Amino acid sequence: MSGASTLPAGVALGTAERRRGRRRAALSRTATAGGFLLPATLLFTLFVVLPVVEAAWYSFYRWNGYGTPTNWVGWRNYELLFSNAVFASAATNTMMVVAVSLLLQLPLALWLAMLVARGGRGSTIFRTIFFLPYVLGEVAAGLIWRFIFDGNVGLIAAAARALGFEPPFLLADPDMAIYTILAVVVWKYFGFHMMIYVAGLQDIPRELKEAAAIDGASRWQSFRYVILPMLWPAIRISIFFSVVGSLQLFDVVMPLTGGGPSNATHTVVSFQYTFGITRMNIGFGSAVGVVLFLACVGFTLIYRRFVLRERD
Amino acid sequence: MRMWLRSAVLCTALMVSSLPAFAQTTIRWFISESTPETTVWQRDVARRYQEANPNVRFNIEVMSGEPYKAKLTTSLQSNDRPHLIYTWGGGVMFAQVEAGLLQDITDRIRGPWADSLNQGAVEALSYRGRVYGAPSHQTMVALFYNRRLLAQAGVEPESLRTWDGMLEAVRKLRAAGIQPFSAGGSDKWPLNMIWASLSLRVGGRQAFEAALARTGQGFNGPDFLRASELFKQLIDLQPFQRGFLGDTAPQAAGQFGDGRVALQVMGNWFVNTQRTQSANQQGVPDADFGWLPFPEVPGGRAASNDVVGGVNGFLVTRGAPPEAVDFLRFYTSPAVQREAAERGFFIPASRGAGEALQNRMLREIAGYLSRAAYVQNFYDQMLGPSVGRVANDTSADLAVGRITPRQVGRLIQDAWELER
Amino acid sequence: MRDESLLLRHLSLLLVAGFVLVPLVTVAIGGFKTMGELRVNPFGLPESWFPDNYLSSLFSQRLWLSLGNSVLLALGTVVLTLIVSTMAAFAFAQIHFLGKKLLFSYFLMGLLFPAATAILPLFIRVRNLGLLDTYWGVILPQTAFGLGMAILLLWGFFRQLPEALWDAATIDGCGYARFLWHVVLPLSRPILATVAVFSLVHSWNSYLLPLTLLNSSRSYPWTLTIMDFAGEYSTDWPMILAFITLTLVPAVVFFLVAQKQIVAGLTSGAVKG
Repeated sequence: MSGASTLPAGVALGTAERRRGRRRAALSRTATAGGFLLPATLLFTLFVVLPVVEAAWYSFYRWNGYGTPTNWVGWRNYELLFSNAVFASAATNTMMVVAVSLLLQLPLALWLAMLVARGGRGSTIFRTIFFLPYVLGEVAAGLIWRFIFDGNVGLIAAAARALGFEPPFLLADPDMAIYTILAVVVWKYFGFHMMIYVAGLQDIPRELKEAAAIDGASRWQSFRYVILPMLWPAIRISIFFSVVGSLQLFDVVMPLTGGGPSNATHTVVSFQYTFGITRMNIGFGSAVGVVLFLACVGFTLIYRRFVLRERD
Repeated sequence: MRMWLRSAVLCTALMVSSLPAFAQTTIRWFISESTPETTVWQRDVARRYQEANPNVRFNIEVMSGEPYKAKLTTSLQSNDRPHLIYTWGGGVMFAQVEAGLLQDITDRIRGPWADSLNQGAVEALSYRGRVYGAPSHQTMVALFYNRRLLAQAGVEPESLRTWDGMLEAVRKLRAAGIQPFSAGGSDKWPLNMIWASLSLRVGGRQAFEAALARTGQGFNGPDFLRASELFKQLIDLQPFQRGFLGDTAPQAAGQFGDGRVALQVMGNWFVNTQRTQSANQQGVPDADFGWLPFPEVPGGRAASNDVVGGVNGFLVTRGAPPEAVDFLRFYTSPAVQREAAERGFFIPASRGAGEALQNRMLREIAGYLSRAAYVQNFYDQMLGPSVGRVANDTSADLAVGRITPRQVGRLIQDAWELER
Repeated sequence: MRDESLLLRHLSLLLVAGFVLVPLVTVAIGGFKTMGELRVNPFGLPESWFPDNYLSSLFSQRLWLSLGNSVLLALGTVVLTLIVSTMAAFAFAQIHFLGKKLLFSYFLMGLLFPAATAILPLFIRVRNLGLLDTYWGVILPQTAFGLGMAILLLWGFFRQLPEALWDAATIDGCGYARFLWHVVLPLSRPILATVAVFSLVHSWNSYLLPLTLLNSSRSYPWTLTIMDFAGEYSTDWPMILAFITLTLVPAVVFFLVAQKQIVAGLTSGAVKG
């Protein structure tokens, strides 16, 4: 890198020249901006936007991926999808994951954040422990818990035997297996949300809490009327991550149950993988993608309408 | 940076231009469903071929059954698609032919090569009179038992020849506190194997062929309903290991090999997997290990020596180099297949190679298979990827009580009609 | 009263810590047991430590190959994300040009939906580009789907840089590129670290994209290899447990070393966003 500059610095210019120069500068600015933005725009368009648009397009075809799609089937893929019992259960399961993330995981994370936000050595250690599952891969987490839940060698089985019960085979029970997935989701992600809250809590000025205490507010009152409103930005973002994350849940499901037993634990994405990708039903799988996309858009609209509103 | 780039380009150019000097072909070979010993042997066969043909290299991928089926569909779409792929024939293969994925090797295989193989096995890898691969081995579903455990429950193995006798045996085993069956319910096809065997016993080959041809009520007809009801009789006795829906086929094989269950319905490869999957790598002692054809059902229309089974081999994909076909010829040649038979890996499709079988059980099964009146290919493979999956799902759903026998046929028929 | 609540607080914390740690510790210790012992004693320490499972995994080419692949994929993703998103975020923050707002919201769309919504067309696209089963075939889409977040984080930071800095630089006659390189980037280390950590963790753990876009086991990252491994040794739990533990070691070590950056990285963007 040479230090020589391309423009002579501090050269005085006439007015006309200055105006022309300004226009030229505006042009060159746009050109420069274009140069800076080109790689990102290209990548983003090619690998995000176009595929999403194509998913909508392909979803009207029956196509195995060879050649170009020619077999236009109209809404058939969607009809098949909405009459598919496994998809119905996959959608229900996904909504359950969303619900548990919001109603169980977030309050748990908030409560723990209140407990460890104060700092001190013990708190730091607990924070580290709670956050640890988040950095471990979903696939590894799923396998770890498959072992824990295993009816022959797992921890739960051993605990049951020690207490004199028949060991349960949770992963092989179509009615129970989905709860194992919910448990692992909470295990994996509560620490992440807790950290968001810890960061939010640390931004609340101490004086505010003290003032509330002086005013004779009970702990619940000070939580409800001082801390919670101040924490709202953090809660808001944690809601966003939890819902978008839940909607695309896949990595945990595959190692844990693979969607089984008897297709009882599919999520929308694992359904798409199993019935679309592994069989190269491009049209059908794309229809699932479109439904997922619409769910994400729907959530965003609700989010903007009800969650972001309170700030504006 | 630029200097580095330029030299890199130069190097690549040099390498490319000098390539023809030692032109090499890499054969990409996808193998599934084998025991570790078989894999070692297959790699050795490839090594020997490579020694004789120094211009050939191998790129071998080995995957177990279910992951293989999942991965194959996407692999076949790649530019670097595998050249030789493991197959079960049937509707999955037909779909691959229709997608233009396979290479027609009819002209290569006709003549001495085809003559060295069982004719039926070659036909199994054909579609509309054209051949797309070469068979390596044949399989057959049987009822395997552990003689010692049966004896403990006072069950005579011969009583297992009929369905009712087998149900009675299950009751006795349960009463004696012995686990009757193990099944890999999470893979689903092991359960479908039982249902398909029952369907064959009840309706014979006609029922299935009529359903495939979309005549009559198809899978919604009385034969398949009867098969589902018979299966339900077994299910109601709770014959399978606890948590069977969470276990894979290899895990279920291991439980049998460990001597923890008395029975299993499985293909003949089970002779090996129950050993390799057992904790001590020994499996059930030879003296205790026995097999019978799948039980007969009252009033069934099948000949008693009709069996469910299949042909496995390797298909040649479009764009595969001639060397791949030549290697396949070498691999399926009698001399090579005899080695596999001697080591007891499988029942070869190569004529006469089966005589080299040393393993008692495999010898018996091979003999039975060679006299079979009709070999019904596995339903899930015959029905093609989508419907086959539904068939497997219904068997698992029935086994766990999520659907009724009547729904089984209905669901398969619905899926089959959608395929039109 | 106070003591009681303190006790309660500690008890609940310990309980949750147990919920997190017990599975991890059991898995790590389980790798040192034989199958026979695991069956009768899944909880406690092994009666005699059986190192074979760990040793055979440690000396297997598979473990190292897959970890190496994961490193390559992660490096590629992180570097590409940093370069591409820094350039874009800089343009959004410092250059006035036509259609800026529109283009910015275009990128923000990327925050909304996950790769799963378009995975099949993505597969077709990557295949048509001839990138199936290559590292780039995974790195490019992975980067693209992370761009929205990366640009948002960087833009938020660049925007807050003092105006005076910029004025001083233009008087010097410094070009945009040089300004970015010499002035902005050195000031932006924390946020760059944040973005890097964010995309590193995502890439290291990513599963769906490589699962769909890679075919040969030699190019598999650890997430795919571990699934294969678990399928193959389906009955041999101690073997699987040892392998899982070994694949987790890099993540745990990285986490303990770079904990501050990771936490800051993953939450700062969150709280500001």
